[in-house]
Amino acid sequence: MKEKGRKQNGSAAVLILILIYLLIPLAACIVYSLFADWTGIIPRGFTLEAYRSISMSEAFWQALLETVLLCAAPIAVTILVVLLAIYAVVVYFPGLEKYAQIICMIPYTIQGVILSVSILSLYVGSKSFLSNRLLMLVGAYCVIILPYIYQGIRNSCRAIDMTTLLEAAEMLGSSRLYAFFRVVVPNLMHGIIVSSLLAVGIIFGDYVLVRNLSGSTVTNIQIYLYQAMKSDSMKSSAVFVMIMLVTFLIAALVMAGQSRERKK
Amino acid sequence: MAYIEFHNVKKSFGKNEVLKGITLEVEKGELVTLLGPSGCGKSTLLRCLSGLEEVTEGQIILDGKDITGVEPRKRNIGMVFQHYSLFPNMTVEQNVAFGLKLKKEPVEQIRESVRGILDTVGLAAQAGQYPSQLSGGQQQRAALARALVTRPKVLLLDEPLSAIDALLRHNLQVEIRRIQKELGITAIFVTHDQDEAMVMSDTIHLMYQGRMEQSGTPTQMYTHPATRFAASFIGHYNVLSRKEMETVFGVKTESEMTAFRPEVVSMKGREERGEAPKDAGNCCAAGIVTSGLSHGNILRYTVRCGSVQVDVDALFRSDRIWKEGQEVWLTLAERDCISL
Repeated sequence: MKEKGRKQNGSAAVLILILIYLLIPLAACIVYSLFADWTGIIPRGFTLEAYRSISMSEAFWQALLETVLLCAAPIAVTILVVLLAIYAVVVYFPGLEKYAQIICMIPYTIQGVILSVSILSLYVGSKSFLSNRLLMLVGAYCVIILPYIYQGIRNSCRAIDMTTLLEAAEMLGSSRLYAFFRVVVPNLMHGIIVSSLLAVGIIFGDYVLVRNLSGSTVTNIQIYLYQAMKSDSMKSSAVFVMIMLVTFLIAALVMAGQSRERKK
Repeated sequence: MAYIEFHNVKKSFGKNEVLKGITLEVEKGELVTLLGPSGCGKSTLLRCLSGLEEVTEGQIILDGKDITGVEPRKRNIGMVFQHYSLFPNMTVEQNVAFGLKLKKEPVEQIRESVRGILDTVGLAAQAGQYPSQLSGGQQQRAALARALVTRPKVLLLDEPLSAIDALLRHNLQVEIRRIQKELGITAIFVTHDQDEAMVMSDTIHLMYQGRMEQSGTPTQMYTHPATRFAASFIGHYNVLSRKEMETVFGVKTESEMTAFRPEVVSMKGREERGEAPKDAGNCCAAGIVTSGLSHGNILRYTVRCGSVQVDVDALFRSDRIWKEGQEVWLTLAERDCISL
């Protein structure tokens, strides 16, 4: 018993140390955004001026809104594409699963700069709707988040016997596609939500793609942060803290929604 | 004309021919069992009937109609799967109502039908629970209710009790049989467990290596196995060749193979009776007990008679237990021997 208790204490200590290590930059940012002077060890001059200034800034809210909207479209499109691909693979072409996986994993290896330059060189001269900068950006985000969405959904698929569930629904008179969306997809919601949150994090953190692809048409939160850094470091810390708060808030809301759904 | 007919049904997966020309008839209202070892093709045959597998060759007739190329959802066949396959995101009630909603039946009628079938399977109190909140037996009964509520022409049960513990399995066997008789539904039950097949079936179809080995009532199958495989699979028969019968029991037989059940062999200690018992119509063999295993109220001994092993079943009586190495006489009535 003593041995077990000692091991547990050891694990807890390691966990706490890692947590402290990870939270130090965030804590430093919070402190820096709240004090006018932090040149010595102890910060001085507590003030909420940076936060007041941000909250009064229309540009900040505009950037935040644009970022949230930029998250929603590619995540929705990618989830739909991945779900349909998984449906096709499971129902009609089980042998193609490994190829689907390879294709979905390729974007892991593509750097943002390479992707954006490639997209620009391919589509910018096109006279079709594909030359639309916003569309290019959404498309690029779809590519970047594809591996995360695919892996999250695929992992959830492994937790259920999808083929038998589809067969059971089919025996009850359902078409396969209806059964997929009515019976299988609700059981993948956990994976869909977790991977979506991961994708939100990636899109919220993007600077390269939005800068290269949208030019001046879109100012997302990272571009706003960059501009803030150039003018006021205290304000930029406050913006960083706000970004963290917003992403936590989105995650908390989604998780709360899902847990309420589960209780039902 | 039978209610269900399989005409020379063949099914191959690549080069592997799983069903090698099955011809079979099932009468309306019967519960038939497809029995056989793993890989014999019994589940594949069931899936061909359900439409979940396409037949490579042959024809399936249901209620006078050729359903060979019909989609599964249009066949009106209910199916209970081995691992229940209840929809995890739906309550028992929603699971059971799923098929009725697809048929676009009126809401009130759906509610009534669901309530009725849940009463029949004894799950009315669990209607609002999710599958994860149910025991294995309850999940299986929910799956049964879901398959029955749409009033299918045939109910297919693909090893539905194999994942359930022994006591509950026995109760569910009785329960399924009761419900099947009560509703008068035609049912096809797949199992590899011969005891289960004996308890539940009107007719047993024994399959082996993609072919139909023997068909008959449980009693016929038990008492008159037609082949060596049927004898060893269903009654745990001892099957001895002509030469072995002559060497061990000193009997000359006309048939190539002779089968006899372990419980028809009687055993006596050689120290009690030094000479071989010689009764008219009986044959006798000397042997040595090599093992004794308890099967509840039965003790199954393995007796070595020269180079042949003979299984002998005896009632488990504490005053008569044979030990390993004991020398015994085995007596067998010739009328209990079946020629194969």
